[in-house]
Amino acid sequence: GQTNLKSPQDIQVYVVNTNFTLRWNYTGNHTNVTFSAEYRWFEDFVTNETEWKELPGCQSVASMECDFSSAITKYYDTHHVRIRAERREEVSPWSSIFEMIPYLIAEIGPPGIRLQSTNGVIKIKVSPPEANQVRKMWIDDLSFKYDLVIWENSSNAEFRSRSIFPTDIIDDLAPDTTYCLKVQATLPLDFKEGLFSPIRCVKTTHKVNDLFCATNVSVLALNMKFHLHWNNQYKQHVSYNVQYLIGYLKKLHDDYSVKWLSVPGCENITDTECNFSPIIATTSGFYYLRVQAMSEYNKSCLSNEIKVDPLITNEIGPPGVKVDISDVLLHIQISPPGGSENEVMRDRYDLSYRILYWKNSSNNEEEIKVKELKQTIGVVSDLAPSTMYCVKVQAFSEVYNKSSHYSREECIKTPGDKILPLIILATFVTALIAVCLVAMPLVFAVYQAYSKIKYVFFPSCQPPLNIEGFGQQVFSTPYLITTEERIENFSVIEPIVIEVNQIDFKDHKHSNQSSRDSGNYSNDDDTSGSKVSEETLEKEIV
Amino acid sequence: MNTFGLVQIGLMLLCTTNTSSLQCNHLPLQQRKVIENSLQLLDKMGKKFPLQCLREKTSFRFPQQVLKARQKETIKVAIEEIFQHIFYIFSKNVTLAAWNGTALEQFQNGLYQQIEQLEACVIKKRTNYFQNKEVNRLKLKKYFQKIDCFLKDKQHNLCSWEISRAEMRRCLQLIDKVVRKL
Repeated sequence: GQTNLKSPQDIQVYVVNTNFTLRWNYTGNHTNVTFSAEYRWFEDFVTNETEWKELPGCQSVASMECDFSSAITKYYDTHHVRIRAERREEVSPWSSIFEMIPYLIAEIGPPGIRLQSTNGVIKIKVSPPEANQVRKMWIDDLSFKYDLVIWENSSNAEFRSRSIFPTDIIDDLAPDTTYCLKVQATLPLDFKEGLFSPIRCVKTTHKVNDLFCATNVSVLALNMKFHLHWNNQYKQHVSYNVQYLIGYLKKLHDDYSVKWLSVPGCENITDTECNFSPIIATTSGFYYLRVQAMSEYNKSCLSNEIKVDPLITNEIGPPGVKVDISDVLLHIQISPPGGSENEVMRDRYDLSYRILYWKNSSNNEEEIKVKELKQTIGVVSDLAPSTMYCVKVQAFSEVYNKSSHYSREECIKTPGDKILPLIILATFVTALIAVCLVAMPLVFAVYQAYSKIKYVFFPSCQPPLNIEGFGQQVFSTPYLITTEERIENFSVIEPIVIEVNQIDFKDHKHSNQSSRDSGNYSNDDDTSGSKVSEETLEKEIV
Repeated sequence: MNTFGLVQIGLMLLCTTNTSSLQCNHLPLQQRKVIENSLQLLDKMGKKFPLQCLREKTSFRFPQQVLKARQKETIKVAIEEIFQHIFYIFSKNVTLAAWNGTALEQFQNGLYQQIEQLEACVIKKRTNYFQNKEVNRLKLKKYFQKIDCFLKDKQHNLCSWEISRAEMRRCLQLIDKVVRKL
C-alpha cells in the first residue's frame, strides 16, 4: 500500500580485499526504521532476468551500513544490489540498483611488514595483503608490486619512495638514525594502489665494515664470457666464494636466502676475479651475483649484490674481417664475434654488420662509405681501378641497441685496368696495319720508278770490247753476218743475237766510257746521240 | 592560442618520452625469441603427454578475443597479464609432476624478465574507464582462475600438472602468433 517511507539513497559499496560493506543515506525519519537489502548476480556478464535474493548480513539493519562479505563469491561477475527502509509493516520502495563487478571496485588491503635492523641496514619482509586467507580476491599474489615510503623521524624529513621485493634490504641509510616507513601493495595492470600498512619506525644500528669484505664488485662481459671482478683491501689471507641467485626467485614470497648457489670453479679461491659464464643460461632472464669473503678467523662477509642481465651487460666484441679482390669486386668475409661456436649471441642479438670502406689516398678527404648487411659475406662493386681501398667492420644489434668496436682495418689494392692495355695494343696494331697498307704500294711504286730510271739512264748492258769502232759507223756492216750459213740458220735467232750483242755493246760502251777513253767516243759525241744511233740500228735490223 | 600551445607542448613531451625508450620499439622482436625459447623449455620440462591423463582433460576455453584487440597497447597489456598468470601457476608445488627442475627454472626466469620489460614499456594510462575493455581482462582472469582451481582440486597431482602444461603451451603458441604480427 501507500507508504510515507522514503527509500534510501546514495548507495555505495566499499570493498577491501574480500570484505564487502554496503553504505547508504537516509533522509527521512530515522525512528524505528530498519533496512534490508537484496542482490542478484549474472554469470558471464549476461544480464538475463534472475531472481533477487536476500542479502545476508544486511537484513533488518538499524545502522547505515552493513557487511555482506559472506554472500559474494563470484568476484568477476556483475552483481546488482538494492535496499529499502522498513518500519513495522511499512516498507519503502526499493532504492535505485547499484551495479558492480567486485574485482573492479575492490581495493587492496594493507600488506604485513616484518623489520630487522642489523649492521646499519634494515631488512624488510613483506607479506601479501591476504596472506593465510582461504578465499582471496587477489589470487595471483605474485603480481603485487610493493612500494615503500621511508623518511627520517625528524622534522622536515623528505619522503623517499621506492619499489621493493617481498624480501629486501634497505641499505642507503645513515647509521644510528630512526626511520619510519610504510608499505603499500599495488597492481599496476589493474591501476590499483592498495592501502598503506601501519607506519613502523625503527632505529638503524651502526655499520661495521669488515676490512676483508669484497668491495667494488663489477662485471665485465665480452662475447658472452662473463667475469666478476672485485677488490680486496685487506692484506691478510682471504678466500672468496662467489654465489649466484636466479633472478625470478626474488619475486616469490619464499625466503630466497637459502637459494644462493656457488659458482662452479669460484669456490674457496684467492683471486679477485671469477668466470661465471657456465651458470648463465643465455636464453633467459637475469641473475644476481655476490662475493662471500672468508677471513682466516672463519668470519664471513657478504658483498653487495650485482644484477646481471646477460644480453644487456654483455658487450659485443669486434668481428674478424678478410678482404679479397676479383676484377672490380671487393669481397669482404666477416667472421662473427665470439667465433663460429657462439651461435647464441648471433641469434639473440639478431646481429647485423656495418662495413665502412674508403679509398686510402694521401688526400684525407676521401668519403667513407657505409654498407649494412646481415650476412657474413659482403660485396662492394663501385670501385676505381688501381686504387688502395681500406675496410673495417662493426657488429651491431638493433634490437638491443648495442654495437661492437670496429675490427682492424684491412687494405687491398684493386688491379690495374686490363682493358686499357688491350686498347693500346689494338690501336697500335691497327696503326701498324694502316701504315703498312699505305707504305707498301708507295714503296713498290718507288722501286718501280727506280728500276725504270736505272734501266733508262744506267743500263746494265755494255758492248763487248772486241767490237771495233763501235758507235762511229752505222751497223749496216755485217760484222756478225760473216758466216752466212749461220745467218740463215740463225735467221730466227738473229734479233736476239744482235740484241744480245747490243746489250753487250751497251754495257761495253758503258764500260768503254767509264774505263777508257776510246777515240770513238771521246767527248763530242754525247751519249744521247749514240743512243739514237743505236735505236736506228735496231730498227734497221729488225 | 595559449592553451593550444600548451597542448602541443604536452603532446611533444609525450612523444619524446615514448621515443626515448628505444628498446621498447624492439620489444616484439625480443619477445618472439623469448616465447620461442619458453615453448622449447616447456617441452624440455617433461615427457610426452601421459595417455592415462587423457580422461581427466578439461576444456578451459581460453578467451581468444583478448588477443584480437585492434590497439597494440591493449594486446601488449593482455600479453603482460597472461605472462603474469602463467608465472604464478608454475610457481606452485610441482614436485608431483617430476619435471626437469633446471628447465622449469629457466622457463620461469625468462617469463619474469619479459614481465619486467613489459612493465617498463607498456604505457598504462587509464584514459577512460571502459567497462568493455575490462570485461575481456576479467574473462582472462576467470580462465586462469579455472586452471588454478583445477590444480587445487586435484591437489597438484601429475595429471593435473600435465594438463595445465599442455594448456599453457597452447596459450603461448597463441601469443607467439600474435607477437609475430606486432
